[in-house]
Amino acid sequence: MQPQLKSKVRCTDREVGEVTRVIMDPLSLQISHIVVGGNGAGGPERQVPASTIQRVTDGLVELRAPSSELESFPAFKRDEYVTIHEVEIAHLEEHVHVESGEVLVPVPELERNVKRRAFFANFTHSIGILIGLPLAYPVLRYLMKPMYAPLDNGWIKIGNANKIKTDDVGVQFKYKKKVKEAFMPEAEVDKNVWILKASPDTLEKVYKGKDMDFQDQTGRVIWTNKRDVPYVVFSGKCPHLGCGYKWRSHKVLGQVFLCPCHLSIYDATGKVLDGPAPRPLDALPIRVGPSGEIQIIDMEFKAGTRSQTRIV
Amino acid sequence: MNGQPTALEAIVAFVDERVGLKQIQAKMLNEPVPGGSRWAYIFGSCLLFIFIMQAVTGVLLMFYYVPSADHAYASTQYILHEVDYGWFLLSYHFWGSSAMVMMVFAHMSQVFLWGAYKKPREMIWLVGLALFGIVMAFGFTGYLLPWDQRAYWATTVGVEIMDKTPVVGDFMARFLKGGPTPGQMTLSRFFVIHVMVLPAALMGLAGLHLFLFRKAGPAGPFRGTHAELKAKTDYFFPRQIWKDIVAMSAVFITVCSLAFIEPVVLLEEATPDPGEYHPEPEWYFLFLFQLLRLKIFSGEFGQFLGAIALPGAFMALLAALPFIDRSPERNIFKRPVALVGWLIVMISIVIFTVSAIINREFLD
Repeated sequence: MQPQLKSKVRCTDREVGEVTRVIMDPLSLQISHIVVGGNGAGGPERQVPASTIQRVTDGLVELRAPSSELESFPAFKRDEYVTIHEVEIAHLEEHVHVESGEVLVPVPELERNVKRRAFFANFTHSIGILIGLPLAYPVLRYLMKPMYAPLDNGWIKIGNANKIKTDDVGVQFKYKKKVKEAFMPEAEVDKNVWILKASPDTLEKVYKGKDMDFQDQTGRVIWTNKRDVPYVVFSGKCPHLGCGYKWRSHKVLGQVFLCPCHLSIYDATGKVLDGPAPRPLDALPIRVGPSGEIQIIDMEFKAGTRSQTRIV
Repeated sequence: MNGQPTALEAIVAFVDERVGLKQIQAKMLNEPVPGGSRWAYIFGSCLLFIFIMQAVTGVLLMFYYVPSADHAYASTQYILHEVDYGWFLLSYHFWGSSAMVMMVFAHMSQVFLWGAYKKPREMIWLVGLALFGIVMAFGFTGYLLPWDQRAYWATTVGVEIMDKTPVVGDFMARFLKGGPTPGQMTLSRFFVIHVMVLPAALMGLAGLHLFLFRKAGPAGPFRGTHAELKAKTDYFFPRQIWKDIVAMSAVFITVCSLAFIEPVVLLEEATPDPGEYHPEPEWYFLFLFQLLRLKIFSGEFGQFLGAIALPGAFMALLAALPFIDRSPERNIFKRPVALVGWLIVMISIVIFTVSAIINREFLD
């Protein structure tokens, strides 16, 4: 039991006053001292260590010292303390029980006989859920509106094949693609692909003896690259993580496609020679006109996967 | 003193009677710091300071910035080249984000090394980890807003990485991009996340972080007897606040200097054709970027391992830390696994960052 405020304080020989204040230790959160005062003699209040307390009973604190020793305890100096309301010490208030007994306030009349408190609590939560739940789907749809745009299978003119002079060398073709996004005015963005005038050998490596089919989102074949057309076009997007790669000369590997981001390296056929890429470069549908005019379908595939997943 | 309060005193008394200001102030400032104030405890306050400065400069930038694909670049250039002191505010905001990341690393390291995540402070640590995620998300979303090539490509690659998350990756990536490729919808989304969602989340969680910190009380030093700690204990004000304010001034001067010496310069406007630009993320993501170049993280599975599983497992380990490491020992010199682990992580980050920088030379 903690010494109560206003308890009488008795030394071994006589009563010396009452507990006027209690001092807590901020680290152990225990009472370290009681302040004894009000003995009528008008002397200073004394600060008595808790270790001097012999016994605490209801309304009485017995010390193990004679009253003559009380004078030897230091006088209490109020300036050296703050109240527990003026300081923030975690969990301190839970350890303070210096009032004698509980301090109460009445429950309002109207609250005394209310049954079904749990019912009302659950009812409140249900109303909250009924407000929130119907909103979830519309909000999700609202945010998802632009996420799954249909694929565009239109042909784009990107230049003339007579720009390519040498076989099996990557040549970059830059072109403008018209985009119309939601409410925005139609705009043109710069894009690029790499085109190869392939030698029969390279062509064989790219097509492996088979024509190459391209599908729309329903799986219907929309175009087939014939294996005897000597032009191969690769999407400008690196299949590793979507950066733009370049045609570069490599000290060991010779002329290669190299992506500066994570250093994936591909040969002219698009095959991965080195680096982290999970699949070869993505070949795109290509159509070469009689005058050498090149048209492609601008497709993009998800990067970082072993198989192709078309997203544009 | 004639006993009559002055008009100012009367106003203060009037407000205090109704608000309880003096008690709030006393509670804020009179927090005993076990073992006394230290320079090691400045990081949390510095983070708060940096955040406030980011909020102020960020709001100012929004007076001119337009989050649209056809105006974001032009409006940012306008801030940089036309608006008085626009270059300074934008550069402060830019370098402030780096300061924030540095300070988060310092703060987490201090808490880790002092063993301050242990019981009863597990919740503070968990909320702190969420705040760490928010700070990184701030960096990632803010990076896109100037809409230059650097911005566009960091986002392209960053979102492709998220796409590799099993099951929800595709949805997450499309949700963030607002479509299959980065464009206006991406800019709108990153903008609203950067200026509304993340600040609200950060303020809420930082409030909770502080509340939990006050509830548990400061951990104090990891060694010293009860009597020693008690003898050295002081209040948060004035000694700790003095140290905090000195540190904040140092941060302020450093960020200002960086803004002056190395002001923000934009690259070409964003476009899906990188041209001669070699994409690279902000410096604090460089180690992850370099990590993904490693041969062991090649292929579809390797990429999942390096980009998702490894960082994910690391964060999960940090979250589980206070529940795995239940020994009450806080002295870092008696926790060899923790010390060595911290050193390995820090050294790896430095090595990978430096090698990413060295690698730049070989690309041209």
